[in-house]
Amino acid sequence: MRNNDVIVIGGGLAGLFAAAVAARQGRKVRVLAYGAGALNIGGGIIDVLGYGYDARPLSSPEAGLADLPPEHPYHKIGRTALADALAFFQDITVAEGYEYQGSLQEMQWLPTAAGTLKPTCLLPKTMNPAVLKQTDRVYVVGFDYLKDFYPQLVARNLQPYFKHQTFTADLCSLNFAEGRDVSSLDIARWLDTPEGQDSFLKQLKRKVEPGSAILIPPVLGTQPDYTLAGKLEAELKCRFVETAALPPAVTGLRLRTLLLNYLKKQGVIVVEKALVSGAMVDQGLCTAVMTENFDRQRTYQAKAYILANGGFYGGGLVAQPGRVIEPIFNIPVAAPEAQEDWSNAQLFSGEKQQFAQLGIQVDEAMRPLSADGSILLSNVHVAGKSLGGYDFCFEKSGNGVALASAYQAAISC
Amino acid sequence: MQKTTVVVIGGGATGVGILRDLCMRGVDAILVEQRDLAYGTSSRYHGLLHSGGRYAVKDAEAGKECIEENTILRKIGRHCVEATEGFFVRTEADSEDFEVKWVEACSKVGIPVIPLSVQEALRLEPNLSPKIKSVYRIPDAAIDGFRMVWQNAASARKYGGRILTYTEVTEIENTNGQVTGLTVRNTISGQTDKIQCDFVVSAAGSWAGQIAQSAGITVNVQPDRGTLIAFNHRISSRVINRLRPAADGDIFVPHGSITILGTTSSAADRPDDTTPSSAEIVRLLDIGHALFEDIRDYRILRAFTGTRPLYSADPNAKGRGASRNFVILDHAHEGLKGFVSIVGGKFTTYRLMAEKVTDLVCHYLNVKEPCRTASEDIVPDPSAELMAKAKLYFPAYGTKLAASRLGADGLERVVKRMQEKPEKSQLLCECENVTLAEVEEAAADSTSHMLSDVRRKTRMGMGTCQGAFCTYRSVGAVDANGLSWGQDTGGLFKEFLQARWNGIRPVLWGNVIREAELTRGIYDATLNINGAINNEK
Repeated sequence: MRNNDVIVIGGGLAGLFAAAVAARQGRKVRVLAYGAGALNIGGGIIDVLGYGYDARPLSSPEAGLADLPPEHPYHKIGRTALADALAFFQDITVAEGYEYQGSLQEMQWLPTAAGTLKPTCLLPKTMNPAVLKQTDRVYVVGFDYLKDFYPQLVARNLQPYFKHQTFTADLCSLNFAEGRDVSSLDIARWLDTPEGQDSFLKQLKRKVEPGSAILIPPVLGTQPDYTLAGKLEAELKCRFVETAALPPAVTGLRLRTLLLNYLKKQGVIVVEKALVSGAMVDQGLCTAVMTENFDRQRTYQAKAYILANGGFYGGGLVAQPGRVIEPIFNIPVAAPEAQEDWSNAQLFSGEKQQFAQLGIQVDEAMRPLSADGSILLSNVHVAGKSLGGYDFCFEKSGNGVALASAYQAAISC
Repeated sequence: MQKTTVVVIGGGATGVGILRDLCMRGVDAILVEQRDLAYGTSSRYHGLLHSGGRYAVKDAEAGKECIEENTILRKIGRHCVEATEGFFVRTEADSEDFEVKWVEACSKVGIPVIPLSVQEALRLEPNLSPKIKSVYRIPDAAIDGFRMVWQNAASARKYGGRILTYTEVTEIENTNGQVTGLTVRNTISGQTDKIQCDFVVSAAGSWAGQIAQSAGITVNVQPDRGTLIAFNHRISSRVINRLRPAADGDIFVPHGSITILGTTSSAADRPDDTTPSSAEIVRLLDIGHALFEDIRDYRILRAFTGTRPLYSADPNAKGRGASRNFVILDHAHEGLKGFVSIVGGKFTTYRLMAEKVTDLVCHYLNVKEPCRTASEDIVPDPSAELMAKAKLYFPAYGTKLAASRLGADGLERVVKRMQEKPEKSQLLCECENVTLAEVEEAAADSTSHMLSDVRRKTRMGMGTCQGAFCTYRSVGAVDANGLSWGQDTGGLFKEFLQARWNGIRPVLWGNVIREAELTRGIYDATLNINGAINNEK
């Protein structure tokens, strides 16, 4: 228990990536995880920055960096660390055989299940939107029992963005037993099996012409591995593009598996179902954190701690009327007193939501700050959604901030 | 130009009740509603089928009407009523003298009241505060306002009644002091039309003053705001009333898997002043704490506000001081024949209000047919054969629920859709157990013009996730069936999620903010609904 260099609190993207970075630094790392964070919700799509402050789409993720306000995490992390973080992330994906493509210099506009395009930065090869422009025919394929993907809607909404391609919609049948609800994860598991692959191929061969692109929900297997996609593409002589889609996010589960595989090789211990309930602090130094689990309290000690347990959704921040609490260290988080000031009257407006930007303020080493700007805890570093100063939905910056802040936190330990 | 005998203005419980009563007596009638049926106060209250206990002390007549109508609605509207019974609970802060007065008053009015030991009450309702002082059982019940309105509407249509939603009245016309018809405007298309008729009944609730104004008549209705909280659990199995003179935050009503706590009372600026404020919510939680000590830990779903149509002949009476009894105003006394307003009243007595107005209209029209609404079921029970067929498609636990929600005729149509395409039996809304076939059926109804209309008819999106998952599916479902009312999908997404947001915003803490982060994550970050709109700017 006593020989950890770094303890990471949180098993989402920020936590797992921080552990990977700290391990590369030669640290002995232990992750205390309680769930998978937002990886199974938002998925493994690495948004970095899609929209500027005026809500206008950016030409590339880096194009908006200079205009960010001082309280934005990227502003504190800096462009270099952000680029280093993305490079190291891409190195890991290559090493694990599931390469992510993209760069800060290029915006990728990924089709979604709503038939919109969303600006993002790094994507698995099976989500490469450029593939759509390399053909003149795109088949949007759904599944008859999948209620989370409507191919006609996707095809019709996307068509105006693609002048030189013809979009058509089609459905594949699932030979599942009737009377159950199907998610894209069920279909990915079906496609992990030879029977699923055969059935899918047989149906598609009747529907698609060679040389086309096939736009589908993220169902090409559950594993971070391009073998299945490669096999299907070779048989059909077509390319696949998976869309962003509703949870459960198969792409996020693949990325989680990838990172866990990597961490295991690096000797990082991931403790599951470890909900951190409190910390011991002595003169601005954290000396231990406690978990409560099955009626037993455990204490974990390390030289440094990375707090990456999420925002409101993840439980890293707790909201009460008129205030926000950080439950482990009781780090102060400023919030408007009147609840009406937490949000805009319109859910979808041309402005950021105030509640989304509430969170912990940090210095350049991601250490939490008090209201007067002094460092509260010298060996605690914060990463991911509990940071204040950004609205990941509005900006399309969620996983980018997770990676960059995790990187910065880990190299600052 | 349409022609009819009677036009009923207002698609709340009273309006559809009047339409049904008129049609059952053979009178041709059209109902016009400015928004959707049950958009107004009929769905924006706590859903309590009063036993009358709340009114017994102050207004014996209202109490008596309540217990009589309560008994009737349990029978004819049993698909909308959950016979939970109720408790009246006195806390240490409430007066013992009032308790004595209340027991006496209930007995005078004829409301059966049974005293219960605190120990026994806590055994039955373990979430109640152990500090409570005395408890009585009373025949309160929960009633589903949406369903009651829809089933009345379905029955009225069967009897030949016509319903025009999103239709507002711009003018009530007369010749020589006799109503001849009205001008209406479709609020979606903007088109105006005329309806020729002999009689106009205004059952416009909080809007009754505005409607009367359009005929140049003053009706003194003061809309009064009432804000309520919907919790994600059944806090109690029974309706829990605070035993004290009627005040804010003293009624808890369990509905299905949720509980509604209400209400506040304050003068409203406008009849549609229905945005709840956080201050009202915090106050309701403070008050509710006396009955349920853990109230602040219970997960909130959303908040909502309705306006009570309080009528007074005395323009200075306000809020709870004004009468909640109903009044029929025959505007012939003011020189306009063929125009009647019904004002005041409460949901529990909607049927009686409809009966009395219809009696008056029938008197003028010389129709002798008696009222049958006190004895004829609003919708018939589905046959055993239909239920057996439905069980093949609905999840085991969902067949009865769907049957109550849809009524026999609706169930038959939905089962037919499922027979044709078995994949339509999938649950589109898992929180409220709503199938794809039901959503398609509701979307295809002529009164549906947006997804929120489908929600009111089916409860889709009203449960725990507040639209996080069913919004995408319902947009896809209506789009795939060519039912999207001429709107693009971006507009459909926005309308439905914004309507949910209005009730989420004032309670944006605890698990509500977690759910909001998830919903935004899906629709804004993953599907880029907002960005897509900005991209096009």
